[in-house]
Amino acid sequence: MTERSDAASGPPESSVTADTDKNDHEGRVVHRASLREPGSGTSAAAGPPESSLAAGTDKNGRRGGVVHRFLPSPDSRLGRFIRRVQPDEANFRSPAHHEKVTARLGLWLGVAFLLCFLTGLLSHLIQHPPAWFGWPARPANLYRITQGIHVISGVAAVPLLFAKLWSVYPKLFSRPVIRSLPHALERLSILVLAGAAFFELTTGIFNVAQNYPWAFYFPAAHYAVAWIAFGSVVLHVAVKLPIIRRALATPVDPARRSFLRTGFLATGAAVVATAGVTVPLLRDVSPLSWRSDRGPQGLPVNRTANAARVTADPAWRLEIVTRTGITRLSRTQLADLPQRTADLPIACVEGWSQSATWTGVPIADLLALIGAPPGSEVRVTSLERRGAYRVSTLPGSHTRDPDTLLALRLNGETLALDHGFPARIIAPSRPGVLQTKWVHRLEVL
Amino acid sequence: MRLLLALTGLALLGYGAVLAWDFATSRTVNAVQGAAWFIGGPLVHDGLVAPVVGLAGLGLSRVLPRPWRAPVVAGLVVTGVLTLIGIPLLWRPFGVVTNPGLHDRDYGTGLAIALGVVWAGVLLAGLAQQYRSRLALGQDQSAS
Repeated sequence: MTERSDAASGPPESSVTADTDKNDHEGRVVHRASLREPGSGTSAAAGPPESSLAAGTDKNGRRGGVVHRFLPSPDSRLGRFIRRVQPDEANFRSPAHHEKVTARLGLWLGVAFLLCFLTGLLSHLIQHPPAWFGWPARPANLYRITQGIHVISGVAAVPLLFAKLWSVYPKLFSRPVIRSLPHALERLSILVLAGAAFFELTTGIFNVAQNYPWAFYFPAAHYAVAWIAFGSVVLHVAVKLPIIRRALATPVDPARRSFLRTGFLATGAAVVATAGVTVPLLRDVSPLSWRSDRGPQGLPVNRTANAARVTADPAWRLEIVTRTGITRLSRTQLADLPQRTADLPIACVEGWSQSATWTGVPIADLLALIGAPPGSEVRVTSLERRGAYRVSTLPGSHTRDPDTLLALRLNGETLALDHGFPARIIAPSRPGVLQTKWVHRLEVL
Repeated sequence: MRLLLALTGLALLGYGAVLAWDFATSRTVNAVQGAAWFIGGPLVHDGLVAPVVGLAGLGLSRVLPRPWRAPVVAGLVVTGVLTLIGIPLLWRPFGVVTNPGLHDRDYGTGLAIALGVVWAGVLLAGLAQQYRSRLALGQDQSAS
């Protein structure tokens, strides 16, 4: 083989050597390693090459160890078959398999995971705020941007993860399988990292499409594994730091640059193909955007009135509950109060967002009307009987904002039932699931 | 610096393990399906995706003329990535009832158009590479 190639199969030399005597496994590695083209870059970030080979030759002839006892004997037919079809680290000659490539992909993958983790954590905190946490109402597009970054960085991580795993794939076949306890722990930590990374990206991409080929509760699983994934990334960076530094300090040769370019091109394509869910400029460009313009009044609906089992009731009254009593207002009475119009986005946790023009009564005005102090926290309850998001709490930072509305109208029309008729909450910079629809009760806390 | 980073990673990992333990022990289905989806990624990747991609790369490198290799491989990679990301939109036996304005576009056609654009790009890049390699070999060819 004179060409460098992306070989994952056993090239001819492995079948030639496969039948030689049983003690030469590591010797064979040494022999073949010495044969490979200079600069064809295998055993990338495996630490200094001498050490792995030396470890192999030291054990030469003993062939012992815990792992080998569970493997078929190398002399058996099965053993010979496995050796013939199983590639060896040195068989991989693509320029992709080198620490210079791995480190550069890893850098961008690390950035994507960092952004994804931080914005996801932020979204979690906004939805389940601990006492120390506060989230501002301004700028109005803030949550739209952070959650857009969450979803786009997740999409970008998909091709980056595949490229990076391909770059280090030969190391899966490095032998001996386990050299020492630290080596075993490192391999285990990488398995955890890969498992968690795939878990987060797969479940996330299925979730934005509201497609659930599993029975567990997505937010709890995605949140727990996010900590595992990000913790593993940080640990991995700590372990590999010297290699990363060394690799990034040296320039990349053209063949490897071509692999990197393909990886980044695919990343860009994935981003452009999906970012239209939240970036208005790409709205008509992204073929895989899960948001469309087909919703009622030009706005997507995440939960229909039908799904929430809510119907329009002429006897509806808004209940405003304080410690001293209950105030009830009909829709006509609400419509007779001074109205305010604001352009605010609906920004879903699933990454899509769209701006719309809302008209209604500011919550601050309702608080003033019943004599509650401005900036009070308000608990909002929906007409829907069941559902994870029937209750939400508006923090003081939001009830104080004049654009936090009990909306009655959307884009110049009476609010559609699917958008929360008779009245819904719309506030700046909040996750869509907290913009409670079909509002039944406001409780001043 | 390195130690600090490692300890931070272990702390985050530990917190995740606690959360995952709570999640897994609350319902049997969480433990079983959660574990399957966790280990499924590396298994499918290492055992299926990577070998197939590797063998395809090996095959292509033998079949394709040199100027066409990089563009065709890039085209295949982009095709694979876009198709993979499109799966949850294209294959929906487990999807919720379509919500108006969400996942209700014609994704098959959209993806086909996008891939058409990608392969037009491949064609242009391949022709450009071919032209360039002809220029480079021009001397030899005119001599022969």
